[in-house]
Amino acid sequence: MRKNRFGSRTLIGLCFLFLYLPIFLLIFFSFNAGDSSAVWRGFSLQWYAELFHNRLVLESLATTLLVSLLATAISTVAGTFAAIGIYALTKKWRDPVLVVNDLPMMNADIVTGVSLLLLFVAFFHGWGAIANWLNSWQSLIRFPTRLTLGLGTLLIAHVSFNIPYVILNVSPRLRQMDANLVEAAQDLGCTWMQAFFKVILPEIKPGIVSGALIAFTMSVDDFVISYFTAGSSTQTLSMTIYSMTKKRVTPVVNAVSTLIFLAVLILLVINNIREARQVKLAAKRASFEPVREDPRVERFREWMSTPRGRLVRRVTAAVLCAAFLGTVTFLTAFTTSRPVVNVCSWGEYIDEDLITEFEEQTGIRVNYQTAESNEALYSLLSNGGADYDVVVPSDYMISQLIEEGRLEELDYSQIPNFEKIDSRFKNLPYDPENKYTVPYTWGTVGIIYNAALVEDEIDSWSVLYDDKYAGQVLLIDNSRDAFGIALKYLGYSVNTTDPDEIQAAYALVEDAYQRGVFQGKVMDQVFQTMEGGNASFATYYAGDFLSMLENNEDLRFVVPKEGSNWFVDAMCVLKDAPNYDNAMKWINFIASTDSNLRNMDYIWYASPNKEALELYPAWYEEQYGEELDPEIYAIMAAPQEVLDRCEMYVCLPKATRSLYNELWIKLGL
Amino acid sequence: MSKELIRLKDVSQTFDDGVTVLKDINIYFNDREFLTLLGPSGCGKTTLLRIIGGFQTPTAGEVYFDGEKINNVPPYKRQVNTVFQKYALFPHLNVYENVAFGLRIPREETGPNGKAVKVKLPRAEIDARVREMLEVVSLKGFEHRSIASLSGGQQQRVAIARALVNRPKVLLLDEPLGALDKRLRKDMQQELKRIQQRLGITFINVTHDQEEALAMSDTVVVMNEGVVQQIGTPEDIYNEPKNAFVADFIGESNIVDGIMRADRVVEIFNRRFPCLDAGFEKDEPVDVVIRPEDVDIVPEAEGQLRGVVTSVTFKGVHYDTIVDFYGFKWLIETTDYCPVDSRIGIKIDPDGIHVMKKSKYSGLYGDYSSYSEEYDEINDPTLLEAEEERADDED
Repeated sequence: MRKNRFGSRTLIGLCFLFLYLPIFLLIFFSFNAGDSSAVWRGFSLQWYAELFHNRLVLESLATTLLVSLLATAISTVAGTFAAIGIYALTKKWRDPVLVVNDLPMMNADIVTGVSLLLLFVAFFHGWGAIANWLNSWQSLIRFPTRLTLGLGTLLIAHVSFNIPYVILNVSPRLRQMDANLVEAAQDLGCTWMQAFFKVILPEIKPGIVSGALIAFTMSVDDFVISYFTAGSSTQTLSMTIYSMTKKRVTPVVNAVSTLIFLAVLILLVINNIREARQVKLAAKRASFEPVREDPRVERFREWMSTPRGRLVRRVTAAVLCAAFLGTVTFLTAFTTSRPVVNVCSWGEYIDEDLITEFEEQTGIRVNYQTAESNEALYSLLSNGGADYDVVVPSDYMISQLIEEGRLEELDYSQIPNFEKIDSRFKNLPYDPENKYTVPYTWGTVGIIYNAALVEDEIDSWSVLYDDKYAGQVLLIDNSRDAFGIALKYLGYSVNTTDPDEIQAAYALVEDAYQRGVFQGKVMDQVFQTMEGGNASFATYYAGDFLSMLENNEDLRFVVPKEGSNWFVDAMCVLKDAPNYDNAMKWINFIASTDSNLRNMDYIWYASPNKEALELYPAWYEEQYGEELDPEIYAIMAAPQEVLDRCEMYVCLPKATRSLYNELWIKLGL
Repeated sequence: MSKELIRLKDVSQTFDDGVTVLKDINIYFNDREFLTLLGPSGCGKTTLLRIIGGFQTPTAGEVYFDGEKINNVPPYKRQVNTVFQKYALFPHLNVYENVAFGLRIPREETGPNGKAVKVKLPRAEIDARVREMLEVVSLKGFEHRSIASLSGGQQQRVAIARALVNRPKVLLLDEPLGALDKRLRKDMQQELKRIQQRLGITFINVTHDQEEALAMSDTVVVMNEGVVQQIGTPEDIYNEPKNAFVADFIGESNIVDGIMRADRVVEIFNRRFPCLDAGFEKDEPVDVVIRPEDVDIVPEAEGQLRGVVTSVTFKGVHYDTIVDFYGFKWLIETTDYCPVDSRIGIKIDPDGIHVMKKSKYSGLYGDYSSYSEEYDEINDPTLLEAEEERADDED
């Protein structure tokens, strides 16, 4: 017997260890002084400090709190009335309705999210005509003709997925309630409404509070549904964390996750303690057994029913209400009131202090969002949910957007800093007359390799297809780059439209794949794999290589002799941008020499600002008191002779694009 | 007695599922009387009470209060208050607030200019009335106790005080003692009677406990299957039951077939017995009720009827003795011990025999062949509760 119990305890222990170890690890490493999630470098609160200086986190926290609080309040009221309505139904109807109520909770979040998105988009589609009709019909209120996803849709989505939880918590309380209570109240002179407020409400209050707590927890916790319904300019905390993990899991993520875990834990503990108490009380009541309360509790109750106690109760209620309204008002002001500019860029692609500085200078709030790739950005724009002002796509995507009429011409009179852009980066093929763009960064694609694992001198793409390094090569996970490199290696143009040449490139990649040369295909995971020394070769951007170098000194970068792709990411403004003038101010601010210097220093991508590019080594020395390694500078800002053997992508014709897609799927890595 | 207060005229109640629980009820209630609606579960007595309380509108018929038709008057406008089955006290309020509940609701009154105005009772008056009522139900000093900390009997008193504090003309009590244990029930019966007499208002009590009905009431209304079977004083109901159902439901009865051979002569088991009943047709078949305590056991040779003892149960004051007469089993309550299988004779005085007209209940009741089972059933509270719940569900 004894032995048996020991065995089962061990098993339970293991189960809990399995469940909680990851969370404990996360909490543990949130206090790590180093920025690794694997090596302990001593205790520090720096990540928490950083967290509270990270405006993206703070803003999304405000959004999360605002949406959660409002959604909780609305869904609690709506859910309570719905529960009462369901309770009043006859048995024949009540049970099916409750089943229907349970369904959304069981339903996959992604289905809920997508279906809500579809609903919103469909509604927005029809809204223009309705708004026009309404506006022509009366002149009291001007209805906006164009609606977008945002705080409003996010709130509606949260309310809709919260209501079932409230109903689920309130319904049992109603069923447990003595049905005669309402009749008793009516018997004593109450109308139905009076009975509702004086009797039903206090009786089901515990259920309402649990429902509200659960709803709040669900709201704070939700990612998937928010992701689909928040639109481009609104970001909840969980969405921010998600985008933070896209690059590298920094300990800031650990810190914010730890705080969320603790907050949810506290909410759940409160709820469970309350529920246990209620269950005990209900059992006693059902058996007409006198409940022996703690005399202190009993005395407190007595005091509460004295006039002074009642006053205290009312004041407390008033203070709580005021606190709720105050918080909501503050958060609303914090998230919506100021003039804004909505920017969508790439992750880890700006020195965030610049955002703060811009906001302080101009009073314009920057809604800074990130997309994962040009293709992801494109699909965001084309399904109509996005309301960005400024986007920062790459060259070939810009030409596609211009072609499709999705970009607005810039007012260069408002962008004096455009003067400072190096003429090399003006009037490029994607925007020949330079009417739409101001370059943001530029750079090259090359081979990143680990000198500790590779002895050869690397100067050719050939290593990527070489049996010698089987299982050591990371293939870049997008068709354009993967085939583009192969084309370059074969001596063709990256922009070829000749199907035979593209087929040849495909055959090269396919063959290497069959021989097991590739370890896998990666985009952002490249950081962790290469920094950790888990692969020898990867293809990636020069700027990102320099970030990796900070964490692993053995890494090297080379632009192979066959040539490569060079790219420009440029700021553009979308057609019908709601904040056009603010967008001009933002672009001008970012194009300044000072901004470019700081950005270059932060993200390691080369600046198109001539002054900044030339000043950078000196500026670096002044900042850090040491000379900038000229090799690093050469990698960041590739010299002209390197650029000369590189090609810029142009937008491929449709037929070629579909061939790329077809072959990429066929490769099916 | 005194003046009429409530009258139900041809009241019927049919529920959505087609079940008729009340059929053409005609009944009136006098002011200041203690009246009990008595009947088995599902007989419609609670529905009748709910109609008077205003929680249900009858499908047909009229309800008059003080001569005014009140069919569509909502509960909160009726001068009637209810003590609910499980008290329905407000758990979130303490004793004082429960009692004060009705007084704190503003009343609608006709103002000087004929307009309806809301009138709130002054705090001092509420306080005085609550304290007075708590004294009436002997709960002084419990003002700040929470409901959960009270015993069943105390909760019962709070429920009564809460209803009476509004000074209703009629107090409705729905199985008020059902949740109490037997001893407490006895005390509360007297307590209720005392309160009713002190306040001098009408109490309408619903119960399935015939003992309780007989002990407390001025008038008893026996109901079954949605129909009033008999209305009368407890003595009338007990001594002169109108049919086999009433005779069986009120107390213990041996009910046998008989034939009226002449006025004051009834024939049972081919033997003629003198009785006090008259006014029947000659040779009319009748039901004859003989209460177990009205039978005397005598030596076999002296008996009017002779039988064999089949079972004896000691009940304290007396023995419950089952005697087989020609295949028909009687219950006899006697202080004499007769062993099982002994042969005995019985004698019945003329006033111990009650003759009733035949009814649809004839032949259904009054045979003690299955005595022990029936006895168990009556005494098993869980069975009763289960039955009540079933009846509740049907509502």
